[in-house]
Amino acid sequence: MLEVRALSKRYAVDDGEIVALAEIDAAVAEGEFVCLLGPSGCGKSTLLKIVAGLIPASDGTIRIGGRDVTGPGPDRAVVFQDYALFPWMTVTDNVEFGLSARGVPPERRHPVSAELLRAVGLAEFAQKYPHHLSGGMKQRVSIARALAVDPVLLLMDEPFGALDAQTRFVMQRELLRVWRAYRKTVLFVTHSIEEALYLGDRVLVMTARPGRIKANIVVAHERPRDMASVELTRLRTRTLELLSDEIAKSMAQEEATAELTS
Amino acid sequence: MSEIAIESTTAARVHPARRRRRGLSRETKLGWATVLGFVLLWKLVHTIGVFPPWAFPSPEQVVMAFVKTLRNGELLKNTWASVGRQLVGVALAALVGIPLGITLGSSRTARAALLPLCRLMYPIPGIAWIPLAILWFGIGFKSTVFVIFFSGIWPILFNTMTGVATLDGQYTDVARVYLAPRLFYVRRILIPGSLPYIITGIRLTYGVGWRVIVGAEMISSITGLGFMIDDARWQLRPDIMVAGMITIALIGWVMENWAFDWLERVTLERWGMKSAA
Repeated sequence: MLEVRALSKRYAVDDGEIVALAEIDAAVAEGEFVCLLGPSGCGKSTLLKIVAGLIPASDGTIRIGGRDVTGPGPDRAVVFQDYALFPWMTVTDNVEFGLSARGVPPERRHPVSAELLRAVGLAEFAQKYPHHLSGGMKQRVSIARALAVDPVLLLMDEPFGALDAQTRFVMQRELLRVWRAYRKTVLFVTHSIEEALYLGDRVLVMTARPGRIKANIVVAHERPRDMASVELTRLRTRTLELLSDEIAKSMAQEEATAELTS
Repeated sequence: MSEIAIESTTAARVHPARRRRRGLSRETKLGWATVLGFVLLWKLVHTIGVFPPWAFPSPEQVVMAFVKTLRNGELLKNTWASVGRQLVGVALAALVGIPLGITLGSSRTARAALLPLCRLMYPIPGIAWIPLAILWFGIGFKSTVFVIFFSGIWPILFNTMTGVATLDGQYTDVARVYLAPRLFYVRRILIPGSLPYIITGIRLTYGVGWRVIVGAEMISSITGLGFMIDDARWQLRPDIMVAGMITIALIGWVMENWAFDWLERVTLERWGMKSAA
């Protein structure tokens, strides 16, 4: 469904260039839930934004359903870490945003937003403004907004990163429920091993900058997953081993940058 | 640019909603006590006779002048003339300033092309336009509106520009992801997203206009509060001058504390976009 081939991203800086992503090859099958796991600064969010069509790649190709991606398209929707809801729109207007942007008339938008708000448990908040909602509720609105345009591919950029641990866990279960109900293909960026192993059918582990795919971990366990089970604990240890070198490298890079700029 | 002053214009005021809910607060009482003290000081200066009586009215004389000009219709006629010009001038400044500010805020090319000219025009005081305005439009409504427009357009223009230029980039990302057409984006995201700046701009524009109008009317008008004040000079009526000045103060105060606060309440406060007041 999604094919990323030989994808690179370079940024020009004062004294040369930074290679953010190098030779990324990845594929996601229809209906699959794939997590992109990596240390901070490894370019996982950049990769997601390139797939979303928000920023161009330097090299390589992205194809969705056989068609080349050159910019944002109706086949994709993004859920951002900071929710990115519009404070001047009611919850309903936020959910309907993508539909209004496409010129869908109100009588055809309302049933969609009403159904989605029921699905994420926010029906009674339809006429509230986002600042009345908690972080978890805001992110549900953001997910509903993404589902409203009926995308083939749902791109999620550390969507639960700003939430507290309990809310985060509730939201993870909610997301799986919604994912099963709406059967979307999901690409989910996270820096949490727990989250990646709890949610994903597969976990793509990325290296420190320049970001490459280091490992492809298949998580075949039945959902809901018991993270305390022997197999998942073993898998977590293995993933942590894979990731810890990269985290150390990433931290060294950050320290070097901090020294340069201080 | 000094016209961009979101914080300074809003932070200094007592929060209006709180004031109405709890009746007169200690702060409000203190404020009014100072106003009363000022009037008493005024009375004292008059009684001592620092200035000759024909040049310095007492508070009672000013009250009498109010009553008299209200009765003969002069005050209302001139107030209405000033307010009309002010509203038209500010509306024109907003009508041109907001779209121009959006253009400047969203296009680097437009900024490169137009900002130098704007920055050259901006320091010209509104009053300096009056002689030209009289040549072009004659004495009265049009020339006064022109002067208000030219002194008032800058705050709304520069604030809108800043609001648009500093809009959260994520809003733009969302608009792109959901394929929002350009006009839809401007109407549903750019304008409401910049509204804190736009409202501050209109506030400042209104204040600048109201300060300029009196000067403009003194020179290029035969109606309006500015004219009334200036005309009182020829009649040696300082009481009418002060009555006109107080009217200006009251109208300014009402607009600042009621009209614009109301506008903020139904938009920014409702949307939770106003930083803790």
